Amino acid sequence: MKQYAYFPGCSLESLSKNYNISTQAVAAELGVGLQELEDWNCCGATAYFPVDELLAYTLVSRNLAIAEKTGLTDFVAPCSACYKNAYATNKYLKGDPDLLEHINFALEEDDLQVEGKMKVRHLIEVFIEDVGLEAIKEKTTNPLKGLRVAPYYGCQIVRPRKDKEDVENPQFFEQLLSAIGAEPIDYASKTRCCGGSLIITNRKAALDMVYKLLQDAVKSGANVIATTCPMCNVNVEVYQGQVNREFGTNFSIPVVYFTQLMGMALGVEPKRIGVSASMLSLAQSTVG
Amino acid sequence: MAVELSFSKEIENMMYASHGKPIKDCLQCGTCSGTCPAVEFMDNSPREIIGLIRADMRDDVMKSNTYWTCASCYHCTVRCPAGIDIADMMYSLKRYSMWKGTYKEGLLGPDFSEAFVKMIVNSGRSFEPILAATYLPKYSAGDIVREGLMATGLVLSGKMPLLPKKVKRLKNVQRMVRRIIPIGDTK
Amino acid sequence: MTEKIGVYVCHCGTNIAGVVNVAEVSTWAKDKLGENGVVVSRDYKFMCSSLGQELIQKDIKELGLTRVVVAACSPHLHEKTFRNACKGADLNPYLCELVSIREQDSWVHTDKVAATEKAKAIVSGGVARVEHHEALTPLRVPIHPDSLVVGGGIAGIQAALEIADAGYHVYLVEREPSIGGHMAQFDKTFPTLDCSACILTPKMVDVGNHPNITLLTWSEVTKVDGFVGNFAVTIKKKARYIKEADCTGCGICQEKCPKKVVDDVFEAGMGNRKAVYVPFPQAVPKYPVLDRPNCTYFIKGTCKACEKFCPTGAIDFTQQDQDITVQVGNIILATGWDLFDVKRIPQYGYGRLANVFTSLEFERLSNAAGPTGGNVVLRDGKTVPKTVGIVHCVGSRDQNYNPYCSAICCMQSLKFAHLVHEKTGAEVYNFYIDIRTPSKGYEEFYQRLLEEGTHFVRGKVAEVSNVARTPQEEGRLVVQVEDTLIGKQRRIPVDMVILSAGLQARHDAKEVGKLFGISCSADAWYIERHPKLDPVATMTEGVFIAGCAQGPKDIPASVAQGAAAAARVLGKIQQKEIALEPVRATVNADACSGCRICNDLCPFNAILFHEDTMVSEVNPALCQGCGTCVAGCPAGAISGTGFSNEQILSQIEGLLLLNIKAEAVPA
Repeated sequence: MKQYAYFPGCSLESLSKNYNISTQAVAAELGVGLQELEDWNCCGATAYFPVDELLAYTLVSRNLAIAEKTGLTDFVAPCSACYKNAYATNKYLKGDPDLLEHINFALEEDDLQVEGKMKVRHLIEVFIEDVGLEAIKEKTTNPLKGLRVAPYYGCQIVRPRKDKEDVENPQFFEQLLSAIGAEPIDYASKTRCCGGSLIITNRKAALDMVYKLLQDAVKSGANVIATTCPMCNVNVEVYQGQVNREFGTNFSIPVVYFTQLMGMALGVEPKRIGVSASMLSLAQSTVG
Repeated sequence: MAVELSFSKEIENMMYASHGKPIKDCLQCGTCSGTCPAVEFMDNSPREIIGLIRADMRDDVMKSNTYWTCASCYHCTVRCPAGIDIADMMYSLKRYSMWKGTYKEGLLGPDFSEAFVKMIVNSGRSFEPILAATYLPKYSAGDIVREGLMATGLVLSGKMPLLPKKVKRLKNVQRMVRRIIPIGDTK
Repeated sequence: MTEKIGVYVCHCGTNIAGVVNVAEVSTWAKDKLGENGVVVSRDYKFMCSSLGQELIQKDIKELGLTRVVVAACSPHLHEKTFRNACKGADLNPYLCELVSIREQDSWVHTDKVAATEKAKAIVSGGVARVEHHEALTPLRVPIHPDSLVVGGGIAGIQAALEIADAGYHVYLVEREPSIGGHMAQFDKTFPTLDCSACILTPKMVDVGNHPNITLLTWSEVTKVDGFVGNFAVTIKKKARYIKEADCTGCGICQEKCPKKVVDDVFEAGMGNRKAVYVPFPQAVPKYPVLDRPNCTYFIKGTCKACEKFCPTGAIDFTQQDQDITVQVGNIILATGWDLFDVKRIPQYGYGRLANVFTSLEFERLSNAAGPTGGNVVLRDGKTVPKTVGIVHCVGSRDQNYNPYCSAICCMQSLKFAHLVHEKTGAEVYNFYIDIRTPSKGYEEFYQRLLEEGTHFVRGKVAEVSNVARTPQEEGRLVVQVEDTLIGKQRRIPVDMVILSAGLQARHDAKEVGKLFGISCSADAWYIERHPKLDPVATMTEGVFIAGCAQGPKDIPASVAQGAAAAARVLGKIQQKEIALEPVRATVNADACSGCRICNDLCPFNAILFHEDTMVSEVNPALCQGCGTCVAGCPAGAISGTGFSNEQILSQIEGLLLLNIKAEAVPA
């Protein structure tokens, strides 16, 4: 069973605990070994860069260094913001010896050194590329037939450009949803931003962005939205009420993590994937 | 003897690790602003900000809420025909405004970012209730009540712990931070 | 040291004199190199001027100079000037050496003292070398009077007609079934709004009828051997499965053919054709072509309707591809352009959103002979749009796609706006970054479109969407763009979007270029000999380029280049023979071991291997004197006239000032 250096990120320990438990459950089912990094620190999401760039890279590099120490090759993050930060930092470390030197100077204080040799992956990539869609399909005992899922990529998983080809119209999430028997719906806003931390610093702007997403997904016929990032999930799920108040709409569409859908499809017990009763009944009513 | 740099040069210098083209390559085509999902909430569009920077109009740029309204979704960056990393430029402007202490009144972004970094230096992990202290005071009474109710719900459903977690080797992390910038207590 | 060498040091205004102390160099040459044969040394403001040249000529005549060294600019510029000057004074031109103290010295250094010392060394090198020069005579090869034009678009047609009208024979090779190129697909042409076919077809007919033009359509060049004046070109005539001698062009085969195929080429995918087809009614030649991969007979063995109904029995399913080899003296490549693939920009919605069209698709819509009979309608074939958005710069001026400007799209977009106005009365929006209207009548055309009430929005379109946010957007396409002149993001609902996609080099431009021995730029356009002063010649003698194959341009420019290339070719043919630079490599047959390493090294395929004597030989007409084989030969058996080992080694010694007596070497 291949082992991966697992970086859960702060959200998965608190607000998005169900993402973490469903990830663990699905990984176990698919034979993906996730070894949580010891004593990892916050990656900073979008909050370090407004203050100091070098500090931001340093704090992210500490996690990369801890991962490198384990001897494992892949650094896996389930949160798109953690993924983007780790990916970009890792790339810069590889190409900029001055930056590397400066950061290693700071990392000395924790007996760590970084090289930039990890392969940084998003969790969904690991399932699709390493486990493979065919294998997932085979293990799907409970295909989610009839469940119309809006694959919400969000922004930082595809942008800025990483090694993926298509930034404007990626298809990998849809392919995964098809493999677990669900019906992915096509909607144009799938990589549009949810507002991220603007939900706190500029509530109006973020609510508008969430509103546009909900509008498009619902109009395109989705009965559930699946996400790959805790921030996106919280913004689109928790603030639906506020969106309704602000714009006079009445959205009430469930928002789940893709790992929760996978868990359902793979036949994992509900409490191991953190799915609420209402979500489960929706899935069961549409599934045959 | 210090040389007085133009504003545009200062911003250029602050885009240290940006791997995009310099902002002087901008065609002013407007693709960034046409793409930006938050542009309606900005005083100036991203394209206008670039124009203002190139014209060295520091005050106009600083007092605009544009760069604090950027969600860093990077859509402008991937579409820019001149290859400029515009989202990164927005971060540079945020840093500049924090450094100089100048930004539009009433914005929550600067306080939030500062509080976030301080929180990390004190614990190494993020914990929402601490951050709430920065922005709640600026919310209306109704909003504060709503936030409180939501938070209670999250705690009760087990989604949010009551106490913050800390990184074990916190002292090392703080010393590490001090090697970069002089904040954080290392006693 | 029996040579009498004259040294001339040029100031080149301040280009050289501003950094190098030319007077000092000149005096030094006389003093220190006198032992090496320098009998006179002068410096002058502009050696390349008539007076400068006369200086040299006077010295040759009066002092009996046997060698000349000019220290000035790069040989690329004035080697010919000074060689001719020597020739004018009856000194063999190859006894003159031009050494560069500008590009190699004054233009790249700022330290004046060091630069002056370097100039002295360079002059010393030149003096040492020129001693070993030999009097050479250029090689003369005959020019075959026939020519080859590859590509039957407007540039190729123009070139072929010019040569043929002058009385010389031309082969015109075209890979499609008919000549006409992209111009045949257009509806109207800017700025005159001439009907494209109306101005093109007379030229096409002329080509078809011309006694001096051998038209080879549905054919491709597969091999090019030889050299300027003497090319042997192999052309594959693909099987049409039609006997041209019997075919009357009646079109019954096309009518009766039951197999419909989407016409991806001429109709840009907007319409259908049959498996046996003539691409358009005015095609030249009139003979149809049978599309074998789509023919029922070739796939299943049944049908043969065309053969049954052909009144003259011209269908021949047994026809084979035919290879012919022709001898020509000169070649013109006019292979045209491909359209940028707009699917590479998913946010513009082409392919996903039905009513997004490319420029070529719109031309076919608008063309009266097109699939909709000239009606501008949506994909459903009947709805007339009420609002149309035209997007400029699709795939051009963009680091993510093509960084260059495609030159014609602004005018094309204005033309489209006019046609939409005329045919539908719709509201038209043009979304642009700049309006580029440089040529005659172009700016006036823009003014006309302004007067017609076109809505110009300055902003590069961010995305084309079908996500409706307001009732007005329901069921329509929405163009999202920043209107930069007012600084606001706008969402403009339209019914139809036309993408003015950029021009690109042909997908196989590099391979085709290799066939003919010419190079492509990074953007895959063919490289001209000089971007300002020689746009139709290439670095390969005898091969010329014309039209969009050299870079995006409009029809008048393509026609001009076709004519220019033809004029160059006619000039060569008139001279009946061509003088080739005698700076060439020669293999010393006695020293050659037959290892053949040089054969593959030669970038011009100029080295032949004689199987009988087991030695290699350089073809002097193809050899460009690059020196690669000289360096590559392990036995040192190859030497070059103009760059022999002695010449090079002595130049090195001169540069190191080793040829000067010890006490003469400056500190």
